[in-house]
Amino acid sequence: MKIMVCLKQVPHQDARLDINADGTWIQEDNIKFEINSYDTYALEEALRTKDAGEADVFVVSIGPDRVGQALRTALGMGADRAIHVNDDEANGSDSLGLAKILAAVAKQENPDLIFMGLMSDDDNSAAVAPMLAQLLDIPHTTAAVKVERSNGTVTCDREIEGGAHEVVELTAPCLIAVQTGLNQVRYASLKGIMAAKKKPFDVKSVADLGLSGQVGTGAAKVKIDRIAPPLKGDTAEILSGSTAEVVAGLVSKIKELGLL
Amino acid sequence: MSTVLIVTEIQNGSLREACYEVASLAQQIAAATGGSVKSLVMGQGVAALADEFSKKGGGDVFLAEGDALANHNAEAESKAIVAAVEASGADLVLIPSTPSGWDTAPRAAAALDAGFVSECFDISAEGGSITYKRRVFNGKLEATISASCDKVVASVQTGATTPFEGSSEGSVRKLDVSIGDLGTKFVEVKQAESKGVDLSKADVIVSGGRGVGTPEKFLEVIQPLADALGGAMGASRPVVDAGWLPHEYQVGSSGQVVQPKLYIACGISGAIQHLVGMKTSNYIIAINKDPDAPIFEVANLGVVADLLEIVPALTEALTAAKG
Repeated sequence: MKIMVCLKQVPHQDARLDINADGTWIQEDNIKFEINSYDTYALEEALRTKDAGEADVFVVSIGPDRVGQALRTALGMGADRAIHVNDDEANGSDSLGLAKILAAVAKQENPDLIFMGLMSDDDNSAAVAPMLAQLLDIPHTTAAVKVERSNGTVTCDREIEGGAHEVVELTAPCLIAVQTGLNQVRYASLKGIMAAKKKPFDVKSVADLGLSGQVGTGAAKVKIDRIAPPLKGDTAEILSGSTAEVVAGLVSKIKELGLL
Repeated sequence: MSTVLIVTEIQNGSLREACYEVASLAQQIAAATGGSVKSLVMGQGVAALADEFSKKGGGDVFLAEGDALANHNAEAESKAIVAAVEASGADLVLIPSTPSGWDTAPRAAAALDAGFVSECFDISAEGGSITYKRRVFNGKLEATISASCDKVVASVQTGATTPFEGSSEGSVRKLDVSIGDLGTKFVEVKQAESKGVDLSKADVIVSGGRGVGTPEKFLEVIQPLADALGGAMGASRPVVDAGWLPHEYQVGSSGQVVQPKLYIACGISGAIQHLVGMKTSNYIIAINKDPDAPIFEVANLGVVADLLEIVPALTEALTAAKG
């Protein structure tokens, strides 16, 4: 069985978010990056299937040179092969553009299962996964918190409101967009990291995928005009001072609320 | 001139309130652009709901009925949306961003080859062009989006607008959707098992987030404050995902929604999923090292400091004050 895992490399969750010069994104120059948290759970799910002796796992990511690091981490964790779509022509793609790129890779590879995160920690659109499934004309589900396979069917629990789960059955090939907490994500072992250096690592261009002119800024249907911190309206009264002063203020408020 | 199509959702036999919230936006946009509002109702045996919505903000309603639409099914719903867009001539499709909405909307957008904007908290049509506003970086920044295409699908954050309370005129017409074979099958909904921790009854909840640092610190730092206030301990999602606390402590849209007299958020950034779970608390105190954390937008009182310094000191002071 062949499993495709789509990864996105995103700014580290504690990275400083300074707005860039034209106000359309954050400054990416001097910050750390990491694999999108949701995608780590997707990768882990694929690797568990592989551990059960049943699959070949390849990872794909789109982006500049730095994305190679994320893919190598994934290889270190146990993925068999990596594909890096590294092409400036892909820059500025909207969700649909990204989905088209991943669909082109999928059409070359014909995976039985596609795992990816529900959304990215930076854009939070949760769009690429369902779009990718539509472009490939395969069923999908989102926010999976449990995945079970048997005989060409995948049964997923998907998270809905209030802790309830909706159970859905998908026929393979299918795409599963996972929720965080689906499993416990492994660390790359030293042995794994060493082995990763010898694993196949393919770099592809937009032209290689037959998508020249169909992705990137020019093809994007939506774009961010402006990004900014939220306006601080009537927000919290901030207590400042020494720990003792702050604590005194808190105790006073708690007394006032009648909760002491 | 925008023709706006509202995609509705039925839950427990009636249209979700979110549909009326979306109707508010749809009506505003139609009014601003000299356009019209139409709607799609999907389900089985729901003609009466379609009729009701046509009078309460939905305008002309396209009714798609069938077994495949009786329960949530992203594949089937996506096909119905495509058919409704064709039948209505809509150029803007609005759908509530609920677990069903976020499952279906992007798929439908791809099927329509449309632009897609996710979880908007505002859509405005001033000056002849439509702009969409949404949050990115887990609530830390706001993005203003514009589209340069014929059709846009936008999902709308629930609770971001007030429900439409006016009336509308429209007729209900049957929409034929050829669903075909589906690779997706709805099986059932499993309700959450109610376990030990019922946060809805607590007057005071002290919640910890990733900032607490380790599972041990929850027991050493957060639980004692909760105890000193006679309250309960809660947690944000990342804490539960990391396995530090079981799911029953989770406060948020996929955990428990709480409204205590006092909610103290310690080391919680304030991602929207968490805020949805606690922002209607009577009084909110937030303690976080990051002055830009979104939690401060809903807090009444804030402390920008290390919770590991403040919380133990607060617990001690409260214990002393109680005598």
